[in-house]
Amino acid sequence: MQFESKSSRAKGLAFHPKRPWILVSLHSSTIQLWDYRMGTLIDRFEEHDGPVRGIDFHKTQPLFVSGGDDYKIKVWSYQTRRCLFTLNGHLDYVRTVFFHHELPWILSASDDQTIRIWNWQNRSLICTMTGHNHYAMCAQFHPKEDLIVSASLDQSVRVWDISGLRKKHSAPTSISFEDQMARASQQQADMFGNTDAVVKFVLEGHDRGVNWVAFHPTLPLIVSAGDDRLVKLWRMSETKAWEVDTCRGHFQNVSACLFHPHQDLILSVGEDKTIRVWDLNKRTSVQSFKRENDRFWVIAAHPEINLFAAGHDNGVMVFKLERERPAFSVYQNQLFYITKDKHVRSYDFTKNAESPSLLSLRKLGSNWVPLRTLSYNPAERSILVTSPSDSGTYELIALPRDATGASDPTDVKRGSGNAAVFVARNRFAVFATSTQLVEIKDLSNSTTKSFKAPLGTTDISYGGPGCLLLITPTNVVLYDIQQKKQLAELGVSGVKYVSWSNDGLYAALLSKHNVTIVNKSLEQVSTLHETIRIKSATWDDSGVLLYSTLNHIKYTLLNGDNGIVRTLDHTVYLVKVKGRNVYCLDRAAKPRVLSIDPTEYRFKLALVKRNYDEMLQIIKTSSLVGQSIISYLQKKGYPEIALQFVQDPQTRFELAIECGNLEVATEMAKELDRPKIWTRLGTEALIHGNHQTVEMTYQKLRNFDKLSFLYLCTGDEEKLTRMSKIAEHRGDFVSRFQNALYVGDVESRIQMFKEIDLYPLAYLTAKSHGLTEECAAILELCGLTEDQISMPEPGDGLTKPDVIVQTYKANWPVKEASHSSFEKALLGEVGVAVDEDARSDLLNEDIPVPTDGNGLAAEDDADAVEGWDMGDDIGLDTTGNDSDFVNIDNPDGPVEAAGPGSSEADIWARNSPLAADHVAAGSFDSAMQLLNRQVGAVRFEKLKPRFMEIYQASKTYLPANASLPPIVNYVRRTLDDTDSRKLLPFIPRNLETLTTVDLQEGYSAMRTNKLENGVVTFRNILQSLLVNVVNSEAQVDEAKALIAKSMEYTLAMSIELERRQLAAAGDDSEEGLKRQLELSAYFTMPKLDVSHRQLALMAAMKLAFSHKQFSSALSFANRVLANGGASKLVEQAKKVKQQAERSGSSDKIGIEYDQFADFDVCAASYTPIYSGVQSVSCPYDGSKYHIQYKGQVCNLCQVCEVGAAASGLRLWVKGL
Amino acid sequence: MDPFSGEGELLTITTAFYTHAYQSVLDYDTSALSSDNKKTAQTLKYRAQIALGQATAVLSSLKSSKDAASRSIVALAQQNSGDSSAVETAASLAESDPEDAVVQICAGTVLAAAGEYAKAIELLNKHQGSLEAVALLVQIHLIQNRTDLAVKEVAAAKRWAQDSLLINLAEAWTNIREGGSDKYQSAFYVYEELASTPGTTSPTALVGQAVAELHLGRSEEAEAALQQAVALENVNIQAIANSVVLASLVGKKPEAVQELLQQLQEKDRDHTLLKDLAEKSQAFDTAAAKYSAKAAA
Repeated sequence: MQFESKSSRAKGLAFHPKRPWILVSLHSSTIQLWDYRMGTLIDRFEEHDGPVRGIDFHKTQPLFVSGGDDYKIKVWSYQTRRCLFTLNGHLDYVRTVFFHHELPWILSASDDQTIRIWNWQNRSLICTMTGHNHYAMCAQFHPKEDLIVSASLDQSVRVWDISGLRKKHSAPTSISFEDQMARASQQQADMFGNTDAVVKFVLEGHDRGVNWVAFHPTLPLIVSAGDDRLVKLWRMSETKAWEVDTCRGHFQNVSACLFHPHQDLILSVGEDKTIRVWDLNKRTSVQSFKRENDRFWVIAAHPEINLFAAGHDNGVMVFKLERERPAFSVYQNQLFYITKDKHVRSYDFTKNAESPSLLSLRKLGSNWVPLRTLSYNPAERSILVTSPSDSGTYELIALPRDATGASDPTDVKRGSGNAAVFVARNRFAVFATSTQLVEIKDLSNSTTKSFKAPLGTTDISYGGPGCLLLITPTNVVLYDIQQKKQLAELGVSGVKYVSWSNDGLYAALLSKHNVTIVNKSLEQVSTLHETIRIKSATWDDSGVLLYSTLNHIKYTLLNGDNGIVRTLDHTVYLVKVKGRNVYCLDRAAKPRVLSIDPTEYRFKLALVKRNYDEMLQIIKTSSLVGQSIISYLQKKGYPEIALQFVQDPQTRFELAIECGNLEVATEMAKELDRPKIWTRLGTEALIHGNHQTVEMTYQKLRNFDKLSFLYLCTGDEEKLTRMSKIAEHRGDFVSRFQNALYVGDVESRIQMFKEIDLYPLAYLTAKSHGLTEECAAILELCGLTEDQISMPEPGDGLTKPDVIVQTYKANWPVKEASHSSFEKALLGEVGVAVDEDARSDLLNEDIPVPTDGNGLAAEDDADAVEGWDMGDDIGLDTTGNDSDFVNIDNPDGPVEAAGPGSSEADIWARNSPLAADHVAAGSFDSAMQLLNRQVGAVRFEKLKPRFMEIYQASKTYLPANASLPPIVNYVRRTLDDTDSRKLLPFIPRNLETLTTVDLQEGYSAMRTNKLENGVVTFRNILQSLLVNVVNSEAQVDEAKALIAKSMEYTLAMSIELERRQLAAAGDDSEEGLKRQLELSAYFTMPKLDVSHRQLALMAAMKLAFSHKQFSSALSFANRVLANGGASKLVEQAKKVKQQAERSGSSDKIGIEYDQFADFDVCAASYTPIYSGVQSVSCPYDGSKYHIQYKGQVCNLCQVCEVGAAASGLRLWVKGL
Repeated sequence: MDPFSGEGELLTITTAFYTHAYQSVLDYDTSALSSDNKKTAQTLKYRAQIALGQATAVLSSLKSSKDAASRSIVALAQQNSGDSSAVETAASLAESDPEDAVVQICAGTVLAAAGEYAKAIELLNKHQGSLEAVALLVQIHLIQNRTDLAVKEVAAAKRWAQDSLLINLAEAWTNIREGGSDKYQSAFYVYEELASTPGTTSPTALVGQAVAELHLGRSEEAEAALQQAVALENVNIQAIANSVVLASLVGKKPEAVQELLQQLQEKDRDHTLLKDLAEKSQAFDTAAAKYSAKAAA
């Protein structure tokens, strides 16, 4: 029930097509206009004399028409709220009036047995249809065709063809109403012929008078209602019409009937006080509603939305035929909901995609009755649905794994109950209003416990883990299922829905007009009231509740601060908020995404949480400026924040005063420059003890007295003196006197008295200060002697106060005026500019460092592959032959029944020929065997951290029984394998981590010239890869490339570090210098990324150049130029090149470096190995050594034996 | 009525005990309980005390008691205070009073902890519908890597005590051992439910949740749960132990891992993880010593 009005008998009804309005014409001659959403009476129209039976809104114009027992048809404007004109002509009661859907016509049916068509534009009668031989009770236009259907007490229903009339009157309809009004007088009514409207069919079948008749909106069907208590359905074709069936059930006269605008339903109302709903296809009763005392007279349907209105003896009721709220449930990123045709679908918020139908629930509940609620259980992937049919049923249904389209559910458990929700992974609660019993059931649908709900409980809802919320009309009760105990109770009336916050800490209780937010212990946090009906609510991740009313999405913070987020055209049911998107279901149960601007509430939330950084962020990035936010901030006591928003000087000034920010206030005062502003500033500054500002405002205001007094207070004698001068200039004697008093200047006081001829006072002053000469002078001036005057006893002379503190020098802050943390954040942002980029250069300051961290030029990639000359060594044995298996047990050997089994760790070792897996299994011995065989690993102590890292990550410790050690479990590489022959351990620091984390760390060490760290990082990569696994053949190649690259970097860095050591040792001999130059040249040889190689080249170039090795310098410069890159770098190289060429391009010291030869650098001696010279290499990383180093441990990986026989590292085995 | 069932008055205290919220067990007010239940509650309190490391207090309060149940509790306390005679006592009690429920549990625990799994299983198999005995059996089977038997035990118990927390936990244990994302997930749900229900949130529940998440590969969530557990009770040893695992798993810097190991060392020198690592470190050195380069640099 949406709305109900109380009035006298309602005879006619009309919905406004767009607005939430309904017109009700009453038996008492009044016409009422209601807003059924707000429940308010908008207007009353009283001009008819006697009952008004017919009423209709115009589809587009602000008009309506009414017809009454005064034989009159009136056309009204609801804008001007008056009757525009009256159409006279009927000779008896007018029963119904209707506008044509496009032509300017009105159709009326009257007790004078005629049906008439009027043109309301020229206010004329254009057609009168005669033929009925009793009262014409109802006549309606066909919604599309040129047909009219009418019903009469003569027991017949007639269908009329009015195409002739239309031809005749194909008047342009686009002319506006006003134009037509102007022209109306010129036209005249000429039609009174019968040929315009001819009877097409006469439908006979009712045994008594027919009260109402209506066309189907799309099908060629007619429904009629009569005093024979029947509702009849008729069908027509081009040529004939016939009775289809009869709906029997009313036991009194049927007053009116209509087709449901969207569904295959017929609705009828009657004097038996019932509204009945019939299935159009089966003509069976679907639903009926009975009113206690009121006979129904009329029914109307809203043209767009699912709303109906019925008029009865005591008013009107507006109602929905069915619940429109779709049943839904949200779990993490998925929405499960039931569509209008009762299919279960899901919607993925991350992909914004709707699934196909998961299940069809058509068989659940009765047809036409939507399902009420859906509760989802993620653990079992099952749903619990309730339906109101059969006085409440629920079903527990497992969802199929994949959406295969509409299939009927297979495994269904059902029972009766009005509400059902999951309360735990394997439990749900069912509540039946009839028994007031809550039953807790397990997944096999058997009751495990039950308890009596508090009296009058109407619904139950999830109440947090292990708890239920029991909802009564006046209360909500939090009930602990385990303890069977009422934990808390809160008096909130009429709660209909509960929405839990994502973190489960808060819930919003929604009733018709209130939102109450409670915490999980059911303590009220805040509450708010809405005049408009509240439909739904959902929580933002940050703890803001968004709720929808009929026409708005609003938000509320936990503290009750709320506001509008956006307006809505149609009612929606919110299901989730994510960033700027609100996901909702509309009334047709279609998922929709609405975009919102969350700035306002995020800002307020940040304000409440005092998250100033975020506020700052919001202020900077959004256009959140407006009076509302300013006044909000001011109201909430954050004027200093509001200050940040405001541009308007006046407001800024006010805010600055409020938060005591005198600087801003002064600035603004200067801008405004009005006495009032200065006065206020002065007052405020005085309170702050900021006398400098006070001084300025007094100066601005030319407030000399106050200024002088201020100077006196602050002890600024100099300025006081100046003030007295000013006073003198102004000729202001009072001021002069005062200033003279302040500075203690007796002479000037006397002088002043003399000037204004106040000699007695001058004398007195002089006398009291003991200035006898002056006294004499005055006396002389007045021509008097001392004897001639009598004077009071002079007091002591006024002494000037001493200045104790020189206050004037600085302000005297009396009020805390510290910056708020927000302002601090604002100020701090300047200093925040992190100088991450201030890396030290590899060489010196003037070499620009390429910022491209992982700039891997394509050509360089090719280089890397080329440089990989140990591909054969690593040779992957993908056939999976068992030669490498160590510790082979019989995997499927029979295990003794009672004896212990083999641990998963043993299984791992058994399943894998990879060293890393053996390490994880704790089988270090076999792992070492494998590594020794594969890559000649010998110095294992370097690998110990890696071994321990892998081993530590292999097992978890699950606390179990008291006083027993925890249960050990094994961490697996893949989640889903449970076949014991495929189980493998998780290996930490995999290839991906190494490339995305460690490698980048190494690069940055290179860039920032932290080679000591870099060499460690790259060596770690080498060692981590040595004991590792990868997932695919492609990754094997990636791993190889990474090994090669790490080797090159380790080598390069080692060479450079060696050179630096020499340089640091200060060996200035030619021998030492030669070695340094050589090393710097070798540094350029390893295959580094281009950007890094440039660094090496630049270093070598500079070193060579500074030691007059012009030939080498030239070659390095050429190589730098060949690589190109940063312009600064290139320029330097060019300069070096020029100078080197000019200087003869020869080397001063002959070094062992042939710029034209291709050579490798021995990783032990750091000397060249030219091609053709015999060499050995590390079986793991492929670094090259002179032959004499064979058998030593590799200098780079520090694990493997150089030149050892090895089968190649295995990181992956096919099919494992 | 079964005193351990959801309806019973011992629900709160047993729940606390099973989730290792021992302090809550000790704080539980037993004055309103019936005399039978009072006894059970007292046993739980003794065991909680032992678990909290207050074995000596238990020993002194049970000095004079001579009944089998009390002696078995004494044995448990002795074992916890490092008295090796405990195993003997337990074994003899298992011979003399195998039908006593308290003896079954306490002596069973002592035997299991001492590695006498066969004897422990024999004793515990005599239980008459004791959920605790089932839980112990499940753990022993898991220790012996007989997941199949553990699963059977749980399945059997579920037939008569599906709703019990302890059985749910035992199922979670077997699920985590068995593995596969579904089983990990369902174990996760058990712990998550415990951890999120007011009143049963305990570090143990959180650690269980974290372990399940760890196995599910959700390391960030696991870390959060572990931190929460540590925040609840900063001496929670298992939380620290699993933090070590987690840190290694996500490849944290060795220093961070070492720091956690240090913490664990301080809290519980004899933790399985430490013992295991020490053993492995030794094994590593022995194994590594077998290899050397042919030539010295």
